[in-house]
Amino acid sequence: MKYSALSKFELSASSRDEVIKELLDLFSVGEKSRGLLAVALDIREKVGATVVHSSIALPHCRSILVDKLTIAVGKSSAGIPWPEEKVNTVVLFISPVNLTAPQEHSKFLAHIAGKIKNSGDKIIASSNQDELLKLLGFQLEKQGE
Amino acid sequence: MDKQLEKLISLHDLDVMIADLNRKDIRKREVEMGLHTEGALEELKELRETYCKGIKRKWRGLYNQLTRHYGNAVVPALMGRCAGCLTRLPTAVCSDPERNSKIHTCPTCGRIIYWAD
Repeated sequence: MKYSALSKFELSASSRDEVIKELLDLFSVGEKSRGLLAVALDIREKVGATVVHSSIALPHCRSILVDKLTIAVGKSSAGIPWPEEKVNTVVLFISPVNLTAPQEHSKFLAHIAGKIKNSGDKIIASSNQDELLKLLGFQLEKQGE
Repeated sequence: MDKQLEKLISLHDLDVMIADLNRKDIRKREVEMGLHTEGALEELKELRETYCKGIKRKWRGLYNQLTRHYGNAVVPALMGRCAGCLTRLPTAVCSDPERNSKIHTCPTCGRIIYWAD
């Protein structure tokens, strides 16, 4: 199964908070909701940085502010301090809160875990958006879809 | 948006995080991804306490009561209906552009309602 994901291949932000904001800006939600989603992601990061495979950050949560699994992928050639380790790939995802969401969220976590386990180094080294999305098992979602 | 409503939404998201980390399947997946979950649950619970202090007793009490009763205290309005019980919400409230500037509750189930922006 391929998941739809928003993408910004070259991130301009240089800190964790800015990257989260830059990726949330791709979401089709209002400014207030984006601010509250940033709060939820910040809480999650505060209790443990979501860095895996040395250079991949996975900020994520479930929130009542989204009605479907929403994924945004970003890449930074300069690297982003997260905050102690530098990451160059960010996969931000937010699952909704409804009856079936915990199972769907768990299934998606398994999907990401599998991709990182099998292709983590390739994901970090990917040189273009298509390659990155393919390695992660995503298809590009146009903004507003 | 009403500041108390913002805090109630964040509290709800925080409670979902706590519930998720209490689920074996989700915790197992997070560990498989290489994330460290030890201690996270306790830290989230501490953060929850801090968060609750910023919420007025009246709304905190209602939130806790609704959570105990329904499992979810805050729900979005969808097409003019409460997403919790599907009751049609008053048209005057739904059409008010400032509807999120105060806390509204569903006239039937009592859940706290917000309108997505």
